[in-house]
Amino acid sequence: MSEELISKKDLLDMARISYGQLYRWKRKDLIPEEWFIRKSTFTGQETFFPKEKILERINKIQSMKENLSLDELADMFSPNLTDLQLSRVELIKRNIVSEQVMNMYIEQDQGSDLFTLSRILEVYVLEKLLQSGEINLDEGKMLLQVLKDQGAQIKQKNCELVITRKLGVSSCLVVINTEGLYFERGTKVVTTVSLMTCMEEIKSKLV
Amino acid sequence: MESKNRGDLVINGLGSSNGGQFNLVSLNGRGTINNDIDCNVLDSNGTGFLKGNVKATKAKVNGTARFEGSIEAEKLQVEGTAKIEGNLFVKQLKVSGKTAVGGKVKSEEIRLRGIFSVGEDCEVERFKGKYRFTIGGLLNADQVDVEIYGDCRAKEIGGQTITVKQHTGSFIGTLFKPFYKTQLEVDLIEGDKIYLENTSAKVVRGNQVRIGANCQIGIVEYSEEFSQDKHAVIDDVRQV
Repeated sequence: MSEELISKKDLLDMARISYGQLYRWKRKDLIPEEWFIRKSTFTGQETFFPKEKILERINKIQSMKENLSLDELADMFSPNLTDLQLSRVELIKRNIVSEQVMNMYIEQDQGSDLFTLSRILEVYVLEKLLQSGEINLDEGKMLLQVLKDQGAQIKQKNCELVITRKLGVSSCLVVINTEGLYFERGTKVVTTVSLMTCMEEIKSKLV
Repeated sequence: MESKNRGDLVINGLGSSNGGQFNLVSLNGRGTINNDIDCNVLDSNGTGFLKGNVKATKAKVNGTARFEGSIEAEKLQVEGTAKIEGNLFVKQLKVSGKTAVGGKVKSEEIRLRGIFSVGEDCEVERFKGKYRFTIGGLLNADQVDVEIYGDCRAKEIGGQTITVKQHTGSFIGTLFKPFYKTQLEVDLIEGDKIYLENTSAKVVRGNQVRIGANCQIGIVEYSEEFSQDKHAVIDDVRQV
């Protein structure tokens, strides 16, 4: 997945922000270190960013910074799981999960009614994919199992969940920091979900 | 922190401890702590060796102290020499003397009067001070306001307001001048408002850029304002 890059100068111009703001956001970890890509150009080294991601992030920061402090924003963007717990009822009330999906999840999970952030993520991803009709129930169970087993890996990194089908057989995988993913012919990628984006969506619903 | 129930650790003369949780840790003379400590106040007078990580509300070094781990504190004051091999996360850092950090530094305010060196990146809201500093990575600060005296280096400097001036020096300072060349050497400086003296940089980018005396700059890119001292050498100036 070679992404389109944008140089720092063009970015400042396009997003109408100053060096001071960009460096401040970097200090507050609102912009991840991996997005600063150094390349040598004829004027010496320059910094580039993945264009789509950075513009989307800056948009978000600008739209939210009126209501939230930078530190609160930083918490939101950090993929680390904070020690938050919500009850089942609350999740349904906040529209994070529908009742049917929640019942299914509980049936599978057999866990308590109190949800930590990692369990919220699991049930949220399930909800998202089932509601969009991209996966069926069995695939949902498979997905939960993968998410549960790989929970430790998911915690901090840039993770994506990929679901593929070939000749009616589906499989589900978690990929971390991928450059590219290629399958043999005949494999259909049903969906890819960025877990980090999901996490941000959840957090924005919680705030 | 329920530090009220904790005891104190006081070493007077020669002694060592295995660390732990304390209210006050006071090392007078030559004290060694072999493991991590977590305390309210750390006071090291004389020679201190701390082989683990340090977590403290307030830490003060008078004399020499060597930390083999990282420090996490609200306040750190160094009067003398401190060497920190790990990272330094501290809200307020005051250096009068010399402080060397091997890893990275994250802070809100750094006030420097002496020599400060960082192996990796240094992220701070306000970086103010005098004399010498060396940053191995990026110095990322909202405000950089320094008076340099002697040889200073940073790989990159980025922030909002960046002011680098030459320390005018006392009478004794003028006697020593031939030994040291007062210069800041840096690859890249980026900021909104930049004023530089005695700086050698490959690239300077900013909105308002003023280049003062004794500067050697490869390329200046500015968007709003630019001025140049007649004693400055600039290869190329562009408005973007």
